[in-house]
Amino acid sequence: MDELSLLRRIRSEVDGPERAALDRGRAALLERAGAEAGIDARAGQGVRGTRVRGMGPDAAAAVAKRRHPVRWVGLGALGAGVLTVALVATNVLGFAGWRGGAEPAAADALQAAALAAVENSDPVVAPGQYLLVETDAVYGNTTNTEAGDYVSYLTINRDKLYVPADRSDDWVWVRSFREPYASFNAEGEALAQKSYDEEVAEADGVPELLRAPDAQFYGNSTVPDFDALPRDPQQLLNYIYKVTAGGGNSADGAALGWIADTLRTGVAPADVRAALYEAAAGIPGVEITEQVANLEGSTGISIGRVESADNSRQDLIIDTQTGALIGERRVELTDEGWGFPAGTTTGFTAVRTSVVDSAPEGGTQNGQFDREGCVDKGNGNFQC
Amino acid sequence: MSTDNEIIERSLHSAGAFAEVFDRHARTVHRYAARRLDAGAADDVMSETFLVAFERRAAFDGSADALPWLLGIATNLIKKHARLEARAWKGLVASDLGRVDIDAIEQAAARLDASATARRIGGALRRLPAGDRDALLLYAWGDLDYEGVASALGVPVGTVRSRLNRARRTLRIAIDPGAARDEEVDHGRIVSASPDSL
Repeated sequence: MDELSLLRRIRSEVDGPERAALDRGRAALLERAGAEAGIDARAGQGVRGTRVRGMGPDAAAAVAKRRHPVRWVGLGALGAGVLTVALVATNVLGFAGWRGGAEPAAADALQAAALAAVENSDPVVAPGQYLLVETDAVYGNTTNTEAGDYVSYLTINRDKLYVPADRSDDWVWVRSFREPYASFNAEGEALAQKSYDEEVAEADGVPELLRAPDAQFYGNSTVPDFDALPRDPQQLLNYIYKVTAGGGNSADGAALGWIADTLRTGVAPADVRAALYEAAAGIPGVEITEQVANLEGSTGISIGRVESADNSRQDLIIDTQTGALIGERRVELTDEGWGFPAGTTTGFTAVRTSVVDSAPEGGTQNGQFDREGCVDKGNGNFQC
Repeated sequence: MSTDNEIIERSLHSAGAFAEVFDRHARTVHRYAARRLDAGAADDVMSETFLVAFERRAAFDGSADALPWLLGIATNLIKKHARLEARAWKGLVASDLGRVDIDAIEQAAARLDASATARRIGGALRRLPAGDRDALLLYAWGDLDYEGVASALGVPVGTVRSRLNRARRTLRIAIDPGAARDEEVDHGRIVSASPDSL
């Protein structure tokens, strides 16, 4: 036997990677891809062309963050990108302003919404009461079939977040299963149903219930530190450009995505909401996309921006009378081959807030991970 | 079916498309790393290889097969585990040579022989210059041809040829010190590099 044949036999019987390792590696890649794709990266939605469900319990560690309905795209993701170099360390001087801003009509509407937000201020939550944020979130799901085609469908989560009067107290979060919402052919319909059935079976039919002080669900705060955000719109916009630098398909798209993500939490204080609207008015390309848009039965003005890099549109839907955010959505303008027909709204969030006297009992900090007996390894990682 | 370069090009606009490159090649990358290190380190190398590849995808040379490029990245990442790799060579034992089909009567002798051979191969691999070892293992374990190895390591095909010749001779002598040292017969695969590229 010659030396090459012998060498080829050495450790030729090594085991292939375990399913969990593959899932973790793939999830890490998607996470990176998602960060680049900016608004596409909202967790739970997965990245287009991929699927995050159906992983083994070990892989749950890697996707812990993906299960959050809210993801702070770009927060702390400073680094890559020329922008970082171009932007100075202060929020006072920066990217915002010198490239123009939103279309005048859209800017006017955003200014009006900002004023209304401040005037109407926030509902008063007395001690012992909760601010209830009901979020209906539709996500696009895409699966690669055996034949190599992409099949897509939409699912909806109907979550309830109970925010205590004192935000350092326990927050309670009831997370629904991802129900089928819409599909575009029989295959997609079947996949949506199968995915839902699997999720329900995995959880023994019990929706996830979380409880954690200061919104520290899954070991991480689910809400940004609003106190740290500048209230001056231009400084805020510079801050946003800075934290989203290098993400998304464009700087402006990533910035608007960040604003949409922050507003959709439903817990941004009125002055932050107002500043976010005004910051959006400073983003070039932002325009009125629909005078009367309907989202889950509520109507408002739709203000958004077309992303030419992937022919999609990101909209904020706002009640300009009250300054309340009705929701946000993403529209696929052309058929990009992912199984979404042109013009499909591939994701939206409708947010309603109210004040309630009580929250459900029970729940744990890490929900499903606790139920499965996973060990918290810190920083949102779980060993199951 | 799309070729790797088509997928990578698509991923420039739709980042998620890059997952398909992972699905195609992750196992091969893992296997290559696991043979050089161990399964645990291979998990990390596999994952990191695709993160690095994703970041550098705009610079991908456009070949239809991305595997040489990916194995080149993995080879670089393995360098970070030099100590672990050295230990792996040192610990090379008979069982690493895989299942040996031999006459039952010869079994005891063959086992002894296999143990000694494994130790000698391990020693030779450990002492090889890093560049020669990378070329040899990409060729033998990565299943790349000369051009693939050249592309993975970013060196000319002629360099790969001389590195492989050197490494194989070292290995041959280590396995059987009495063997004809100038033997140049290629027992392995047909060398696929075209003559004009040498």
